[in-house]
Amino acid sequence: MKINPLFFRKNMMALTGLFLCLFLIVHLSANCLLLLPKETARGLYNAYSTWLRENPLIMIIAYALYLSIILHTIYALVITIRNKQAKPVKYAVNHTQENSRWASQNMGILGILVLIFIVIHLVNFWARVKLGIGEEVGYDAAGNKDIYEVTYTLFHNVYYVIFYTLLMIPLGLHLHHGLQSAFKTLGFYHKRGLILLAKVSLIYAIVVAVGFGIIPIVVYFQ
Amino acid sequence: MILDAKIPEGPLEDKWRNYQMHSQLINPANKKKLQVIVVGSGLSGAGAAATLAELGYEVQCFCYQDSARRAHSVAAQGGINAAKNYQHDGDSVWRMFYDTLKGGDFRSREANTYRLAELSAPLIDHFTQQGVPFAREYGGVLVNRSFGGVQVQRTFYARGQTGQQLLLAAYSQLSKMVRSKKVRMFPRHEMLDLVVVDGKAKGIIARDLVSGELKRFAADAVVLATGGYARVFRLSTLAIGCNGSAIWKAHKRGAFFAAPSFTQIHPTALPQSSEAQSKLTLMSESLRNDGRIWVPLQKDDPRVANDIPEEERDYYLERRYPSFGNLAPRDIASRAAKERIDAGFGVGRLKNAVYLDFRSAIANFGQATIKDRYGNLFAMYKKITGIDAYQEPMQISPAAHFSMGGLWVDYELMTTIPGLYAIGECNFSDHGANRLGANSLLQASVDGYFILPNTINNYLAAALKDEPVTVDHPAFQEVEAEARLHIERVLAVQGTKTVDHFHRELGKTMWQECAMSRNQAGLEKALKAIKELRTTFWSEVKVTGNSDELNTELEKALRLADFIELGILMCTDALQREESCGAHFREEFQTADGEAMRMDEQFAYVSAWAYQQGDFQLHKEKLDFEFVTPSVRSYK
Amino acid sequence: MQLTFRIWRQEQAQAKGSFKDYKVGELTEDMSFLEALDHLNEILVLQDESVIAFEYDCREGICGQCGVFINGRAHGPHSNISTCQLHLRSFKDGDTIVVEPWRAKAFPIIKDLIVDRSAFDRIIENGAYISAKTGTAPEANAILIGKAIADRAMDAAACIGCGACVATCKNSSAALFTAAKINHLNSLPQGKLEAHQRVLDMTTQMEVEGFGHCSFTGACEVECPEGISITNIAEMNARLFKAQILG
Repeated sequence: MKINPLFFRKNMMALTGLFLCLFLIVHLSANCLLLLPKETARGLYNAYSTWLRENPLIMIIAYALYLSIILHTIYALVITIRNKQAKPVKYAVNHTQENSRWASQNMGILGILVLIFIVIHLVNFWARVKLGIGEEVGYDAAGNKDIYEVTYTLFHNVYYVIFYTLLMIPLGLHLHHGLQSAFKTLGFYHKRGLILLAKVSLIYAIVVAVGFGIIPIVVYFQ
Repeated sequence: MILDAKIPEGPLEDKWRNYQMHSQLINPANKKKLQVIVVGSGLSGAGAAATLAELGYEVQCFCYQDSARRAHSVAAQGGINAAKNYQHDGDSVWRMFYDTLKGGDFRSREANTYRLAELSAPLIDHFTQQGVPFAREYGGVLVNRSFGGVQVQRTFYARGQTGQQLLLAAYSQLSKMVRSKKVRMFPRHEMLDLVVVDGKAKGIIARDLVSGELKRFAADAVVLATGGYARVFRLSTLAIGCNGSAIWKAHKRGAFFAAPSFTQIHPTALPQSSEAQSKLTLMSESLRNDGRIWVPLQKDDPRVANDIPEEERDYYLERRYPSFGNLAPRDIASRAAKERIDAGFGVGRLKNAVYLDFRSAIANFGQATIKDRYGNLFAMYKKITGIDAYQEPMQISPAAHFSMGGLWVDYELMTTIPGLYAIGECNFSDHGANRLGANSLLQASVDGYFILPNTINNYLAAALKDEPVTVDHPAFQEVEAEARLHIERVLAVQGTKTVDHFHRELGKTMWQECAMSRNQAGLEKALKAIKELRTTFWSEVKVTGNSDELNTELEKALRLADFIELGILMCTDALQREESCGAHFREEFQTADGEAMRMDEQFAYVSAWAYQQGDFQLHKEKLDFEFVTPSVRSYK
Repeated sequence: MQLTFRIWRQEQAQAKGSFKDYKVGELTEDMSFLEALDHLNEILVLQDESVIAFEYDCREGICGQCGVFINGRAHGPHSNISTCQLHLRSFKDGDTIVVEPWRAKAFPIIKDLIVDRSAFDRIIENGAYISAKTGTAPEANAILIGKAIADRAMDAAACIGCGACVATCKNSSAALFTAAKINHLNSLPQGKLEAHQRVLDMTTQMEVEGFGHCSFTGACEVECPEGISITNIAEMNARLFKAQILG
């Protein structure tokens, strides 16, 4: 079997990307709990978190997730290097906005922003909860780790609220192009299916960006 | 010199088979030792190069473009004829042969024309196998349409891009043979001269258009497939790079030039809009199926087309040819347009066009129907002119299109220089004095794919015994030195006028005196003018840059120098043919109502010109009509 | 009208290039963009300067030889046309028009605005054909092809090989060009026998030539003079996937 590197790399991007897209849906659905009244949310959210941490299947998925983020980043880098080599000289004038969407031309920049977001997001939550770095996390009445409190405190810092909300814009743009592009990369070419895919991608990107973006604001005002 | 066309014996239907049965064969091991040069990579060139390579010859193929896929066969829109009789409408090889011969006004050879029709059917098989996406019916079979005034549907097509699809199939097949290293492709190389050793064509001198280097290439046979020379008029439907230099150089080395003045003027091109114009874009002839052609009755009418009432319009084709009307053949429609324009009734900013009006068609069938039929053409028209032809009539004008004339070839497609072949549009063989629509792709393909690969053996079998000639032979040195000198001469003039200036001048003279209608006084005047132009060209042309670099001005200058000489020969030929036939209309030879008068008694011959120290000597190949009786074309 | 052309001049492949401004008068709106360059070259000749090297041949949008980047767009400001179909009426009197050659590693500059697109030829050489010799064809109507399939094959086959897709692509990907040819041949019954090898070989050559990845920005289908759909690339990806497993 002969593997074409151009396609292999893009396929890896697409597969890891799609996996991350799927993860975001699950992540968002759970986070919707945060929109409930404060104490109800605390109980449910913390219970859910504990269940997640203790489920062995989820642990495997978690590793797949870490791997996906790492591979997605590495292949993005490799692909970008090759692409820059393929176009070593840029045009003095280039009106890309007239023939394509801005996001599709700037997936790299959007990706970097998303990556910065992920790193900070991980430091805020994952590092504290999982690795015990930073301030220790307390327990709620039910004896679950009080992740809700971590979230609540964080989203009462106005800078974090702005950061978490604003960075959903590049995420949304990245997802809007990324989702449909991934399907095409993997060889989905059904004509009407592609029209549908474009719509689904738009709805998906809006739901994810608005969904994640609104939570810090709601929590801030609770 | 007696011109022997080498027509095989037997009835028309058996000639080609008889020829094949008696031609010589070369064993595969020996074919590998034989080199063939093919100049040009269009339908005929690429087809020949690929097929010869498949047969086992070592092929070197040249084109001036950056890739073989650019050759101007790519631009043919309408289709390709074949006597398949798929429509069950009574078509046959014989009928197609007769239509072609009659369309050419009985100025081509019966045997050649019959072979063209005979090989048309297998050609469609061939292209289908090569993956050409011809138009299909829902049931999966091939579609045909009618074309160019014949009464059967025998034209195969791939949208309005038939030429492109056929060329790309030929290019694919050529690429396959490049990959298997049986063809060496030399893009961006232009043939400058032919090398003849002991009377036989043995190679060429080509200029590498990037480095400017002159290179020698030796072979056992040379095939020219360099297309038409209508750029002699400057404004034509041809690609800007199309030129007559390769055949002209071959002519000067001894190949006879046949019927140079037979040039087809296409009636439905877009008019010239400025002095700077470089090209006339063709609008498909099919527009004449629904469009009505007219000019105002009043000279220099200042009104826009839509303000001119019906009774003040002159539908001159319908007036003069009531039965064929707007569908009169190309030469007749072109000539009628020129007559009106010359009489001062032309329209458009430069008064050089006639109207092609769809108003009544839109009124009759509705805009949707017209859009369905010609939508892409209307869109193209708008792209180029900025005018919406649904709202106002198109402006069209005749334009130089196809060269029926070319190097004289015999039945084997060999020129009068042994070992030098000419195929496709650059030869004179099948179209006589006028070419039928959708026959040019056919002739190019049949020549390249089927005929040449079968006839070249006959010569090469003998060439095997020749002493091999290498590029170190003194003849190569000599010809290369001449080519170099020629370039240096052009660069040394350093006058005050550009190459394009001279090309415009040549074009004007040729268009005025040697295009749609010709007369003795005009041709004599043109001959004088072109000879003067030749003198001023060599004393006043200015080409900047050097010979050892990519220099597009130099390329143009070298081509133009040959066009000027070719123009002289065209006028000479037109002057000698004192009759009107097909595209050649001599004003002195017309009937009382302005129709062509053919003089079969004196002029049923192919004029073949030999080059002699700057002068031309006429040889005549008599055309014998053994199987059909020439009739008079009438489209009244 | 009068225009200023800011044109990339570069003597040869290795030389350093730069923009040079040319103010050109006596232009008319009817002139095509390439005719304006012709006109400029005539002026340059009379001024004893070397002419601007640029490519063209048919000047009716079908040969694919012309093609430059004009004011930030491949083939100029309109979508789905070739450079030769661009006319000066698309510009305003006094405009400055920036003209650059196609930029891609796989399309090295030869001189001024002329680039070497032979990489395309080599992709074609690697399988864009049906390996049947002249003289071996069966009767044409023995191969039935449904209208829908023939039409789709024709859509893809319309590619003129101008290179605008590569030029406009931020990654200089040749995916649209390669896909169009693969889909044309692989969708027809005549091309099926060699389908897997074709897609493997042609895409490999595309990689070898130094083209970049396809990011599906969609710029290529907008600049393509034949409007070849980007869906072709997705279809090629599917074909490649299949070929890699089965081939």
